[in-house]
Amino acid sequence: MGMAGEVPVAEGKSVQQTVEMLTRKLELLGAEKQGTFCVDCETYHTAASTMGQTGKLMYVMHNSEYPLSCFALFENGPCLIADAYFDTLMVKLKGFFQNAKANKIESRGTRYQYCDFLVKVGTVTMGPSARGISVEVEYCPCVIANDCWNLLMEFMQSFMGNHAPGVPSVFGTKHDSIYSPADTMVQYMELFNKIRKQQQVPVAGIR
Amino acid sequence: MEAPPVTMMPVTGGTVNMMEYLLQGSVLDQSLESLLHRLRGLCDNMEPETFLDHEMVFLLKGQQASPFVLRARRSIDKSSMPWHLRYLGQPEIGDKNRHALVRNCVDIATSDNLTDFLVEMGFRMDHEFVAKGHMFRKGIMKIVVYKIFRILMPGNTDNIEPLSLSYLVELNVVAPAGQDVVSDEMRNFAEQLKPLVHLEKIDPKRLM
Repeated sequence: MGMAGEVPVAEGKSVQQTVEMLTRKLELLGAEKQGTFCVDCETYHTAASTMGQTGKLMYVMHNSEYPLSCFALFENGPCLIADAYFDTLMVKLKGFFQNAKANKIESRGTRYQYCDFLVKVGTVTMGPSARGISVEVEYCPCVIANDCWNLLMEFMQSFMGNHAPGVPSVFGTKHDSIYSPADTMVQYMELFNKIRKQQQVPVAGIR
Repeated sequence: MEAPPVTMMPVTGGTVNMMEYLLQGSVLDQSLESLLHRLRGLCDNMEPETFLDHEMVFLLKGQQASPFVLRARRSIDKSSMPWHLRYLGQPEIGDKNRHALVRNCVDIATSDNLTDFLVEMGFRMDHEFVAKGHMFRKGIMKIVVYKIFRILMPGNTDNIEPLSLSYLVELNVVAPAGQDVVSDEMRNFAEQLKPLVHLEKIDPKRLM
């Protein structure tokens, strides 16, 4: 099970420099680089032609950790896990659901393994601009949130310091139920929404 | 715990258009056993496979005249199987010589919260039924012989009654677009099932 949080960009540094600081700390800890990852999120809104609909937003996400799957979710609503053909279905539904292409947001970066932990540090970009940094930490042996929450927190603090996030909302009602990849995607969706609302990261001036 | 070997990039559903080629027919209940016997002989050697499925048809109404139809199907007897979401397009108006009904299809495996998700998208259930029958395979062709049951109380799949005194027989192939040789193979196979059952191209529009 895992959790995703955002690390604010360090004072006076660019997004890339902050990512490098984090990855250097991980490498000093002894984490091994294991390829790259990508999580992306597209936004669809119900077209005006759909009757009786009050303009809902639907997110369709992909995660390279589950390359053959597609996750579709509504904020505060159900998260559907489907196979890759769901994207083809969304093309057929374009009369009813419009793809807000400008809202596409993704996080790309390196995947690290440290013993039983999987850490992914990514740069969150929307279009051409870098908007923030995402850190996902997964503790692989455990699937019950309550059983390993403290361990995850301690590990995150060891390399993120004060920026380690608090309890994600997905754990709110389901401390003892089995964690699923859909829970990770909900966390990414909330993270992306938070980053979208923030001001654009100011580019570091030349000093 | 290595990175997934498939690719680094998530695989997005390609733009390959899959088409369903379909021939349908029916047999009365009393002829079922002889048909199954013939199919066991003609089809690929495999364990006889029966199924008990619950299908729900959902509609999304928009300003267009015809609503968007999606079919959600789940297995009642094998409950660990993923749910099956299916989109079927309009039958292609091809040349009259084409032997099978051809329509665009998109098949998606999903998690079991499919109905909640469809309702959240704005779909509403139009009707549902239970299908119980046998499945056979010959190469890429799939032959299903099944009975449709009406559900007496919505959502209760234990209380069902047969819709008719016959079994529906369908021969179908899902293949990429443009493979018309598939319909010739289907026609040749259908010939072997005569006179037990006559499989033909039935345009659903003509029945309305």
